[in-house]
Amino acid sequence: MSAGGAFGGNRGARPVPPEKGVFPLDHMHQCDLEKKDYIGCLKSSGHQSENCRIFSKKYLECRMAK
Amino acid sequence: MSRCVKDVLWSNYKYTRVDTSCYAGVWGLMPRCGYGSNMTNGYRKPQSFGSGCLWKSNSFSSFQRHYASHASTEQKSRKMLLYLTALVFAMVGSTYAAVPLYRRFCQATGYGGTVQRKETVEEKIARHSKDGTVTTREVVVQFNADVADGMPWKFIPTQREVRVKPGESALAFYTAENRSSTPITGVSTYNVTPMKAAVYFNKIQCFCFEEQRLLPGEQIDMPVFFYIDPEFETDPRMDGINNLILSYTFFKVNED
Repeated sequence: MSAGGAFGGNRGARPVPPEKGVFPLDHMHQCDLEKKDYIGCLKSSGHQSENCRIFSKKYLECRMAK
Repeated sequence: MSRCVKDVLWSNYKYTRVDTSCYAGVWGLMPRCGYGSNMTNGYRKPQSFGSGCLWKSNSFSSFQRHYASHASTEQKSRKMLLYLTALVFAMVGSTYAAVPLYRRFCQATGYGGTVQRKETVEEKIARHSKDGTVTTREVVVQFNADVADGMPWKFIPTQREVRVKPGESALAFYTAENRSSTPITGVSTYNVTPMKAAVYFNKIQCFCFEEQRLLPGEQIDMPVFFYIDPEFETDPRMDGINNLILSYTFFKVNED
């Protein structure tokens, strides 16, 4: 649908913010370990998000706590 | 012969208002009497009378005759002017109106990659779990990262792709590194292609639209938490689509 871009399709759209807001970034690198686990799991399991759901949950819990 | 002259002049007098100077010019000349025969038709082109006077008087009569229709053409052209002016204003007005109208159209149809927002994530998940919708189709979400010109950041996705089923939430990372020697603030925006699938792409949390400041030499991981609407599977327009590309671009914010 490149024609949508030609007619200014994206120009008319106001950017929609994410539902839960902005992810506060991990400047202190406190959850690096969880992140590495998750990335490692993804790479080993053929990028299946299903298999690595548990690691992503750990990462999110880590971010919420710290 | 003199009778001819009088007749001619009399006929002239009946049809037109000829000024006296013309009379004077005509009076001195010898007319051709052939003119006398068709006097009822005032439009008849006169035989040359030796002076342009009669011709002028005849054109005066035609001018008078035209004056009546001239008024109506003037009216017509005035109407046309009004119509055209109104048309110009209508065009300008519709140009101004097009902006909000187009925006509403984009929101309604998701044309051009506009991401729609109707229900919150929890409502959607609750509804789908109640319906018992099962999703079987696997969608590959690939990631792309771009940096605007003149921005000395290294910005790449941490993983190339994620395979996810609609309705399942997934986490993805981007890595950004500030390679310059000054702190730089950037803001990012995103896009989903193919554009018609953007309607179903829901972001729960991300790092976009908010300024992010990186110190010199700092490297940071930026997560995106998203999920694809289960309605993606039932939509016939999405039949051939198994690949989505999420693309982020970082722009520099001028620090004052």
